[in-house]
Amino acid sequence: MSGIIIQSIVISGFYALIAIGFTMIFSVGRVLNLAYGVYIMLGGYVYYTVVQLAHLPKTVGFLCAILSGVIFAVITYVGLVRRLQNNPIAVEISTLILAVAMQAVMILIFTPAPRSIWPLIPGVAHLFGVSVLKNLLVAMIISWVVLVSLLIFVRKTRVGRAIRAVSMDRKGALVSGIDPNRINLVTWGLSGALGSIAGVFFATYTQLDPAMWVGPLITAVAVVIVGGIGSIMGSLVAAHIIGFLETITTTLITPQLRGVFTLLLIIIILVILPKGLFGREEI
Amino acid sequence: MKRSLIWWVICGAVLASLPIFTSTGTLRIFIFANFLAIFAMSWDILSGYTGYISFGHPFLIGIAGYTTAILTRHLGTPLYISMPFAILLTMVAGTLFFFPALRIRGTYFALVTLAFMEVTYHLLKIVKPAVTGGTRGLTGLPFVVTGAVPNYYLSLFVMLTVGIGLWVLAKSSIGTVLSAIRMDEGAVKSAGLNPTKFKLFAFTVSAMVAGIGGSFYTHYLGSISPRAMFDITFLFTILVAALVGGEHTIVGPILGAYFLTFLLEYLRPYIPGAWRFLLYSVIALVVYNFAPKGIYSIFQGLFDWVGRRMRRGEQYG
Repeated sequence: MSGIIIQSIVISGFYALIAIGFTMIFSVGRVLNLAYGVYIMLGGYVYYTVVQLAHLPKTVGFLCAILSGVIFAVITYVGLVRRLQNNPIAVEISTLILAVAMQAVMILIFTPAPRSIWPLIPGVAHLFGVSVLKNLLVAMIISWVVLVSLLIFVRKTRVGRAIRAVSMDRKGALVSGIDPNRINLVTWGLSGALGSIAGVFFATYTQLDPAMWVGPLITAVAVVIVGGIGSIMGSLVAAHIIGFLETITTTLITPQLRGVFTLLLIIIILVILPKGLFGREEI
Repeated sequence: MKRSLIWWVICGAVLASLPIFTSTGTLRIFIFANFLAIFAMSWDILSGYTGYISFGHPFLIGIAGYTTAILTRHLGTPLYISMPFAILLTMVAGTLFFFPALRIRGTYFALVTLAFMEVTYHLLKIVKPAVTGGTRGLTGLPFVVTGAVPNYYLSLFVMLTVGIGLWVLAKSSIGTVLSAIRMDEGAVKSAGLNPTKFKLFAFTVSAMVAGIGGSFYTHYLGSISPRAMFDITFLFTILVAALVGGEHTIVGPILGAYFLTFLLEYLRPYIPGAWRFLLYSVIALVVYNFAPKGIYSIFQGLFDWVGRRMRRGEQYG
């Protein structure tokens, strides 16, 4: 029982990290970025290349992963999304096509074969008599550090407040002298960074393969939809709901249900409660 | 209308005479193009016309494929019963599943349909693998006809029937209402029409076409597997065929399917197969962003130009 609880808490923190980058883009730009999974994949592969192929230190690998996520996200926004941002459906289709394109790029560079990636910190920790992988524990701790600093950034800094302003009312923000396009750019960069950090953890948690972007994207979508689209606090709660329910179903019934559960949740919530559990609130 | 029908007949006649000129290998490519065209048209009548983007068409195609596959494989049902049943079931099941989703807005509709596709993929592996064949799927299914030439004619016949049917529908007043939903759903409502009814109709037609395509395709291949059906890359191929050809045109998806299939075949000696999706994506993104009507608009421009030249000739001649 306590095994399930600890496992759930650990996995939920990690899911929250995956989802936040996706939420922020939706909140600020009102578009669903289906290429978000690519930042996660990119983070994982870049980290793998730097640390395991080039044998550089892990911090360098981390920084390169973040950088690649930011650059790719900014390119996505400037090159593709900015021209389409008044048409959410066009953004949805274009980013999905982009994601498949990046999957093809990864297959061309790294072959379709899955690759295993070393854990950030090897070994097993014992918490209240439950053994948890140290790697997952570190991922959770860093996730929370990132999440808390993000909340502080969004609430206390000038740029953060501008992000919130644009997400509440684009025109109002424009009138107060905020350039929504610049804020969008910042948000996309931030989202790329969050995605690629989550990607390093996700890769060490599972493995690297060119189709790995689908799973985290679905998790992000589920978290955002359950939590009410576009709210950070809602996403945190939703990530925990999903993390707990998923761990319970996978341990008690069968591990194969992992993917199914999240997907069913998406369908049920969208069909029955299109506004999510918490409605829309400030970011 | 009449002139366009003549074009259908001409194109049909040209395609029908192909087996005289081409090899069996080329015919197999045409067969695939025909099926892709059916799937892309099925997507177009729903998503291209009403603007409710479906990311779940492989789900519909897969339901039909699996239904007829399971019936023929395990119960020995003859094809003339199993295929119509599969098509019917696709329409019913598809409608039951997607009907609630049709109330929600476009972007979320796409997500729900995508979730349906992925859920089916996962469930197929877990629930009753003895019946569904699990991850490996089902093989050794009966064929409708055997040999490249009969299969080519069958696929061509189905494709053209579906194409003309959908095209007539799209040109009718129903097609106009569907286009209107895409532009402004509220306006359709204030015109005293019930948009949900029309969306449901478009969806049912789309599911029927997907069912037809899916069941014929399964019995052409003789096998079915979850990863070949319920996969994002399959969705991607359908989507790109429709977008590159020109959505919201019915004829466009046919052009797109032929264009993509042949582009791949011609480039095969020069670039390895792994480049396919990258190439498709780049073409799709460029076309979608800069020429939303795709290849269709190029053809249309050409016809208009020829038409103008001819009229001018009449004036001065």
